[in-house]
Amino acid sequence: MGPILEVRGLSKRFGGLTAVAGLDFEVRPGEILGMIGPNGAGKSTTFNLIAGTYAADGGEVTFGGEPLLGLAPHAIAARGVMRTFQHNRPFAGMSVIENVMVGAHTRFKTGLISVLTGNAAREEAEERKKAESLIEFVGLQGLRDADVTTLSFGQGRLLEIARALAGEPRLVLLDEPAAGLTPDELERIASVIRGIAARGIAVLLIEHDMHFLLPLAHRVVVLNFGAKIADGEPAAVRADPAVMDAYLGSHAAAR
Amino acid sequence: MRWLAAFVALAAAAFFLGDYHNDVYRKMLLWVMLALGYNFLFGICGQIAFSHFAFYGIGAYSAVILLFQLNVPLPLAILLGVAVCVVVALAVAIPSTRLEGFYLALATLALAQLFVVVLNEGGAVTGGTGGIANYRLPPIFGFQLRGPWYTAVIVFVLLMTLWILIKLDRSWFGRACRAVRDNPEAAAAMGIDVARTKVIAFTVTSALAGVAGMTYAFVDNTVNPPIFGLDNAFLLLFMVIVGGSGRHAGAAIGAVLLFLLPFWLSPLVGHHHVLVFGVLMLAAILLQPKGLIGLWDRYSR
Repeated sequence: MGPILEVRGLSKRFGGLTAVAGLDFEVRPGEILGMIGPNGAGKSTTFNLIAGTYAADGGEVTFGGEPLLGLAPHAIAARGVMRTFQHNRPFAGMSVIENVMVGAHTRFKTGLISVLTGNAAREEAEERKKAESLIEFVGLQGLRDADVTTLSFGQGRLLEIARALAGEPRLVLLDEPAAGLTPDELERIASVIRGIAARGIAVLLIEHDMHFLLPLAHRVVVLNFGAKIADGEPAAVRADPAVMDAYLGSHAAAR
Repeated sequence: MRWLAAFVALAAAAFFLGDYHNDVYRKMLLWVMLALGYNFLFGICGQIAFSHFAFYGIGAYSAVILLFQLNVPLPLAILLGVAVCVVVALAVAIPSTRLEGFYLALATLALAQLFVVVLNEGGAVTGGTGGIANYRLPPIFGFQLRGPWYTAVIVFVLLMTLWILIKLDRSWFGRACRAVRDNPEAAAAMGIDVARTKVIAFTVTSALAGVAGMTYAFVDNTVNPPIFGLDNAFLLLFMVIVGGSGRHAGAAIGAVLLFLLPFWLSPLVGHHHVLVFGVLMLAAILLQPKGLIGLWDRYSR
């Protein structure tokens, strides 16, 4: 199957600093693509460029054949690119299921007039049912009506994922989903991510934790100073001398 | 059915009140109406605006000018009055919600001030500093609604306002408003057009304030500039915060309490009741950010 996301020559400068320098990569439906690199390698910037939070200085991002660059974040989400945040950002005044239903926002077809005339009730009930099944999918059943401020950090991370899936995306961007999790939670989240890919959704994730990423990702892209230095299967990337030198070597030595 | 029961109960109360208490009751209902709408904008959508009371005035003046200066029939005057509020609301909200931060607060503060200036300088159209008086509600289907019967109209408009706000709140739109309030960046990542959500919330609530104002125009049968000044815009904010922002019941309780409080306090402390309001407001913010309704939640559990 052809790629769902194609990134070509993507560039971003902050003042004199080049954060992303002519980056090329693609993601296929159902594929888990891991993006790694030392701090400051341009991973988060790449994410924010794809999600529309930053404006690119050059290059192209094509999603399902459509250009994404220049669109506002909400318009990119509406096209089927949903994201999670590195630091959980729940909607604190709402319950778990309401948070998930916010993720389904772009799927609602009824207008405000229908909301008033009562014609929106069926759609609301259908979306609630879908949100319930997503809550079950990430393993938060039992917390459906809980106040989100009472969730643990790991539960909050699972909620972020359920919320992103509620928009029925074709691509999810996961920003360091493993950061700060306990070993049990890591196992849970890895199986959730595999489950997402098994649904045919493309997954692009930034990760620092090699032990988490290498067994999980189908393919890995390594960035250094905003440029790609390796792209391939985890085992091949791990053995690549350039990668060892730039990242794994220094990382391993530091451990 | 519950709505009908509420209507009957609230309207029937008016028939047991004398003229003076009927007047107090009507004004209390109007404050509740305003607080409910303002709560949707401030408490649910998280937008700070100071124009809610100005839209109350725009509605009142529009109705009176359309009906008695331009001789427009009542149903059309109501529609046009709402249209005026919608146009003014869009003109203020579209430019100021594109920017992050306090621009909506500043723009609406300017609007509220400008509105009073326009009223004072409006010559024959607005009646200048003296406003417009000596008019009466045109007969509706041949009936001249007055006394408790007009109070029943106010109850109807209040319940209609509440019904609209509850429907909106429990829909995708209400969730979008709360998401915009809680975390605009995450809301945008969920596909919510943040600026558009703010514009709709502001316009709908401003139009509802306008409708409340049209209802008010036939309570005192006079409209004049001092009624629509800024102090009342701040009083609305107090009502919502003291009662419990983000909750319909909280806004209603806050409105009833702060409206009635001066009646009890004035014999004791004269005009210093404003000071009591200030203390209440500080107490609410520091000790009980969820307001009186939050206290109720805690003790009813």
